[in-house]
Amino acid sequence: MRSSSSFHPVAGGKGGGEASAGVVDRPIDLVGLLAAGHHPAAGAVVLFSGEVRESNRGRSVAYLEYEAHVLLAEKMIGEILVDAKAKWGLSVAIAQHRIGRVEIGETAVVVITASPHRGEAYAANRHIIDRIKHEAPIWKCEHYQDGTKEWGNNCNCHAVTGDTAKHIYE
Amino acid sequence: MTIHVYAGLKDYFQPEFELTEEVGNIDQLMACLLAINDQAAKLLAACRFAVAEGFIDSTYKFKAHEIVIVVPPSSGG
Repeated sequence: MRSSSSFHPVAGGKGGGEASAGVVDRPIDLVGLLAAGHHPAAGAVVLFSGEVRESNRGRSVAYLEYEAHVLLAEKMIGEILVDAKAKWGLSVAIAQHRIGRVEIGETAVVVITASPHRGEAYAANRHIIDRIKHEAPIWKCEHYQDGTKEWGNNCNCHAVTGDTAKHIYE
Repeated sequence: MTIHVYAGLKDYFQPEFELTEEVGNIDQLMACLLAINDQAAKLLAACRFAVAEGFIDSTYKFKAHEIVIVVPPSSGG
């Protein structure tokens, strides 16, 4: 349950079109996924790639290691995509998150949204990645150049909301 | 009952372990976990809990031999 390479369509959502959620233990194929983001009804396709940077909070990062509860994460990401498709009338919604070791400059998460006009695609894309970061059972461990490591940047919305299931989005 | 923990919780608990005590709900499970390692109190207070069907809340009654997932705050992306 800690490792997977699945990527599957998500049923449901209003307005038709496609939604696919996945958690994978291999490099993310941005070009291949972008190709899946095209749709005859969509005049706009937005791709967000969350990538590993070489420093965080003043510390030199060597690489990140992601862990997930894959079944729950894929289920939750799928629900997030279905919600977003219904809210913004998306033609396509795709999200894929990587687990395992991810090197500097590699993609850790990708979100692709397609809609008739760009406003909806941008807004939905931002919403989807924010919810994935706050809600999906996926965790990053930062490995630093000095050999230390730290599970980090956890969602701490509960400190404000008083409920571990309620989140505050940017 | 089998407990699975993830991420930073593995600094305090084995990734998977059995609880032999009778545990009926999340509050009782939390008490058991704190009895094992109270150093995890701050992190546990921020955790969600899940079973095979998905996330559960404090009203959920555990079944016999259930697998319970203790879910720390997310840090994906």
